[in-house]
Amino acid sequence: MLETLLENRFSVTAVLLFGIGFLNLLLQQNLLKKVVGFNIMDSAVFLLLASLGYIEGGAAPVVAEGTSPSLYINPIPSGLVLTGIVVSVSITAFSLALIQRIYRRYGTIELDQLRERARKEDD
Amino acid sequence: MSEGTWRERLRVWVDGEREPRDRTLFVMESPQRTSSLPTPEEHEVRERHRLRKFLNWYPAAAVIICAALVAVLLAAVVRMPAFGEADNPINNEVSRHYLARTEEETGASNAVTGMILSYRGFDTLGESCVLFLAVASVTLLLRREDGEPEDAAQRRLRREDALQREHPDVILQQSARLLIPFILLFALYVLLNGESSPGGGFSGGTVLGGGLILYAAAFGFERLGRFFSRRAYSAVRTFGLLLYTFLYGCYIVTGANGLTSEALTRMGGLSLPIDLAVGLVVACTVYGFYALFARGEI
Repeated sequence: MLETLLENRFSVTAVLLFGIGFLNLLLQQNLLKKVVGFNIMDSAVFLLLASLGYIEGGAAPVVAEGTSPSLYINPIPSGLVLTGIVVSVSITAFSLALIQRIYRRYGTIELDQLRERARKEDD
Repeated sequence: MSEGTWRERLRVWVDGEREPRDRTLFVMESPQRTSSLPTPEEHEVRERHRLRKFLNWYPAAAVIICAALVAVLLAAVVRMPAFGEADNPINNEVSRHYLARTEEETGASNAVTGMILSYRGFDTLGESCVLFLAVASVTLLLRREDGEPEDAAQRRLRREDALQREHPDVILQQSARLLIPFILLFALYVLLNGESSPGGGFSGGTVLGGGLILYAAAFGFERLGRFFSRRAYSAVRTFGLLLYTFLYGCYIVTGANGLTSEALTRMGGLSLPIDLAVGLVVACTVYGFYALFARGEI
């Protein structure tokens, strides 16, 4: 059991990081810390994807002339990580813009104070 | 006992006694409530109780759900194939084809660049669209202070620019003067060299955006606006995305291997213009986020 955990250490680390990020996203009271939790989840997914493409003893996939493909690692998961990074950056930027608007409107970014002030405005 | 009396006794037993012996009937003083709905204050109090009970249970439920999710994922992950084996199911004929034929089919010896710009180029077109839309939506969200009219916003920006001019940060400016030429040169190198070494549109564009951010932070947005005004910014961004869409639109019309003229193969395929287009869009995005969050507009 411990050997399988050590063998797939990157995937196990990715899953643990995902759990930490998810817990942050759910439990933090400050909205900025929730965004940080979301970013940790993203990084965990990138770690998992990038670690899937590694081949033992392979070189970076910049193919020299006439060499056989078995010398290089798998290039496909790196492309998937590129897509993921772009999505992560866009969502983080949009969430931060929304948080700035919330702060301008309500004057706070703590979730419980936000709830109080929003309810007071409803009354 | 006569017969009438057992009939009477039966009737008394069936009817029941008018006045119960050891219970007293009381007459209600207050009138009955007309509706059974709670009054607004009671509703408010009940809502607050419910919210407090939910908030008490929420952290425990969150921890339990997260622990369950991590347990399920761990159980899945230890059953995955071993890390780094050459005969994993993920290393199938697609990656072998990409590695073997990317030099001749796309003109790029970097297999990842050939894959994202040529083999899976439509994905990267979607990426550029996502970046473009992200800047557009953040611009819409952060455009103006609430209730601040147009001229007040202009005055505030001019005041900030004047402050930046009067009190420059000497250390930042001197080190920026040293670093920015090298940063821009390196960004151009990474952009144009994406085919034969690690790099490409995304990394080159990010470094270029970083150079622009350093310039804006050291010398002020006003000086940057002299050669990279808002119009130029919008034009560059839109041009990058339109160029990419146009080039890939040609592929839709002529088919996947349709653009095989002599000039194109000597140029190394379409990778170079697409690299430039992607790099421009990414650089404008990175700089745009900095400008929007620092200032409120580009």
